[in-house]
Amino acid sequence: MEIRRDVFQAIADPTRREIMDLVAHRSLNLNSIAEHFDVSRQAVSLHIKILTECGLLVIKQQGRERYCEAKFRQLHEVSDWIEKHRVLWDKRLDRMDSLLNELQSKGKKRNRLNKNK
Amino acid sequence: MEKQITVTRVFNAPVELVWKTWTDPELVKRWWGPDMFTCPTAKIDFRVGGKSIVSMKGPEAFDGGKEHFSIWSYREIIPLKKIEFIQNLADAEGNKMNPVALGMPPDFPEDVRTLVTFKEIEKGKTEMTVTEFADMGQMAKFAQMGLDQSIAKMDAIFVS
Repeated sequence: MEIRRDVFQAIADPTRREIMDLVAHRSLNLNSIAEHFDVSRQAVSLHIKILTECGLLVIKQQGRERYCEAKFRQLHEVSDWIEKHRVLWDKRLDRMDSLLNELQSKGKKRNRLNKNK
Repeated sequence: MEKQITVTRVFNAPVELVWKTWTDPELVKRWWGPDMFTCPTAKIDFRVGGKSIVSMKGPEAFDGGKEHFSIWSYREIIPLKKIEFIQNLADAEGNKMNPVALGMPPDFPEDVRTLVTFKEIEKGKTEMTVTEFADMGQMAKFAQMGLDQSIAKMDAIFVS
């Protein structure tokens, strides 16, 4: 199977989400990121590699250090997807709402007719 | 953590009537299809283990007016309280289809667990909540992210 590299995969893993949280406000080098985790530095490197391949992290060389910088723009793919589905359901509920109103006003009319008999 | 999409609405209608919009095929047809779509088919087999077939049909100009079928396989029904079912894309006979074969993106989840709950908040007022979960595929993975908090948080960061 082809290995997917997209934002959905990037945030599928809790460690990767935590890395994103860490670098959200300030760029950090690999060591500072690795310190936060119990897993090996290699494992953290792999997560960072995946995040860069998914476009959520950019690595910038500063002197001898390499810093990870967060790029949140890609995450809009996720919120867009969710938003689309939410809108779909919202519209269904709108239709349900007008249907229920219609059914009830019909019901009331019928009741009135029955009462008049 | 796998919660994915939740919508809640309060209807000015008694819970019995709101419930019926899911169980009466003629009523299902009135709300299931997206805008500009109709729902020509609603074969409702409303019982645990039962399988309903619903469809959406787009305008001629959209895709030749093709009818797209889904099935709802009921897992749990608690009258006037809860309906739980699995949504799958299907053919006209209600046989489950692979979403990719139907032209959906590979992210499209094959099984979408759907939970509908009903609560009478006062007489003639019903709160209904629909939650969709994706149990398979890429979507399931991303759904684990604790969506509401993370997205809000990350969006806030992005905007600032």
